[in-house]
Amino acid sequence: MTIDLAPNHKAGLVLANPVMPAAGCFGLGTEYARLVEVEALGALVVGPLTAHPRRGAESPRLVPTPGGVLLHTGLANPGLSAVLRRYARVWARSPVPVIVHVAGTAPDEVASCCRRLAGLETIAGLELGLPDTGDPDEATAIIQAAHASAGQPLIVRLPLVWADALCQAAVEAGADALTVAAPPRGTAWYAPGNHFITGRLYGPFVLPLALRALRRVAALVSVPLVGCGGIHTVEDAQAFLRAGAAAVQIDGAVWRDPACLAHVARTLSSTVEPH
Amino acid sequence: MVQAGALITDIGTSGPFVRVTLAATAIASGLAAGRFVLADLGGYLRAPLFPARIEAEEFDVLISPRHAAAALQPGANVDLIGPLGRGFEIPAATERLLLVASTDCLPVLLPLAYQNHQKPGFWEKPGFGASLREKPGFSIALLLSASTAAELYPVRLLPPAVEVTIVTDDGSAGQRGSILKRRDDLLPDLVRWADCACIAGDPATYLALAEIVREVRAGSGRRFAQALVVPPMACGVGACQGCAVSVARGTRLACTDGPVFDLLELR
Repeated sequence: MTIDLAPNHKAGLVLANPVMPAAGCFGLGTEYARLVEVEALGALVVGPLTAHPRRGAESPRLVPTPGGVLLHTGLANPGLSAVLRRYARVWARSPVPVIVHVAGTAPDEVASCCRRLAGLETIAGLELGLPDTGDPDEATAIIQAAHASAGQPLIVRLPLVWADALCQAAVEAGADALTVAAPPRGTAWYAPGNHFITGRLYGPFVLPLALRALRRVAALVSVPLVGCGGIHTVEDAQAFLRAGAAAVQIDGAVWRDPACLAHVARTLSSTVEPH
Repeated sequence: MVQAGALITDIGTSGPFVRVTLAATAIASGLAAGRFVLADLGGYLRAPLFPARIEAEEFDVLISPRHAAAALQPGANVDLIGPLGRGFEIPAATERLLLVASTDCLPVLLPLAYQNHQKPGFWEKPGFGASLREKPGFSIALLLSASTAAELYPVRLLPPAVEVTIVTDDGSAGQRGSILKRRDDLLPDLVRWADCACIAGDPATYLALAEIVREVRAGSGRRFAQALVVPPMACGVGACQGCAVSVARGTRLACTDGPVFDLLELR
């Protein structure tokens, strides 16, 4: 069974399995090397990355919430150049395709990242994050900048709240596939510091929200969809595939149980029909 | 580092703590003071567990009776990821080791307190100076704090050779005050005496402790004073970027760069 997430792109983005980790949960590809059977997966999604180094948010970044966790990293990463120096050779040895997640900060920065990545054969695809503003003009400008600069297939990860509102504009701007969706944002009161923290929410409670968003998007566009949000079990992943996803990304569940990635992948590979 | 099941082989008490013994051959041998495992105890996030006693095939953790692991029963299996992090690194030339702990954090330092009572082989574990066992003049001092005497870890359970100084908020045991309130005498004297200091307590006190170390030991070498910082963690391997700790040159991750940091670099 293979899945092509970019059937209309000259290179395509063919995965041997529909399961991959979600951006922001798997690091840059080496962190889980001893804990995850990477060869069982469809792809690795690494990052998010920005053109320039980002120190990220101050501590605390992580606040436990009922049934899950709120995480605000502030896009902490060493910057694209530093990452490529260290990881390009690592990715070249990956037994599965590597998809780099580029943070959709601004059109110029996104274009710079995508140009730099365009010539790297070791990178099979790009996934582009979008700001959570829901502004269709802003989203379109960022996606067009990425599309014009990227050599690889472009997956656009939609904000959960704006997924159906932005999906058609994203496809028109050049998305080969859509990830539905980025983790929703929430706010938690951090009592020890006497202040609020706003960040992304992870946990099983996200699944019904993301599943609803995916079904709505599936009714609006015809590009391949990647379901993401709160998947913790084989049944969770199957629900996304039934709802119209061609593939799935597992996010926070990896932290709790790294072995679940390969487990879900192996189980689905024997049971799922191609989308 | 592996993800593996551990068998709970014994449950008991040790002073105010519940003692849980975990048999985990693939993990125990890589543990050291300040290194940790992430245990799946049913919550969304795994819980960090620090060894208080380490053997080749098993280790003990000492936890609060309110900790989720305190409900475990002998015979149960717990899924662990570990060993993780960088622990305390005692220079091989160390002769006077100072341990500074609040009672709730003391278990993390216990492998250090016991280090000249361990059998041969223990010394070659990461984080321990291989030559310490050979030094008959090696001595350990512990500055232990608690709110009241009732909350203290019993001194009789500590190795006899460890020189213990106790501070309680209400003066019900040892000297009255806190480590910071006694910043003019107790801690400076001990810092002056030591050639390595390992600290496990409330990180909110660390900047003040660092100030004392700077005053007393101006020009002390890197890692003279090492402190434990344990923010909430999700992955334990550096993938989620969640356990950031601010240091002089930016941000580090507690799970991979720590959770033991140079006290003087913490911000």
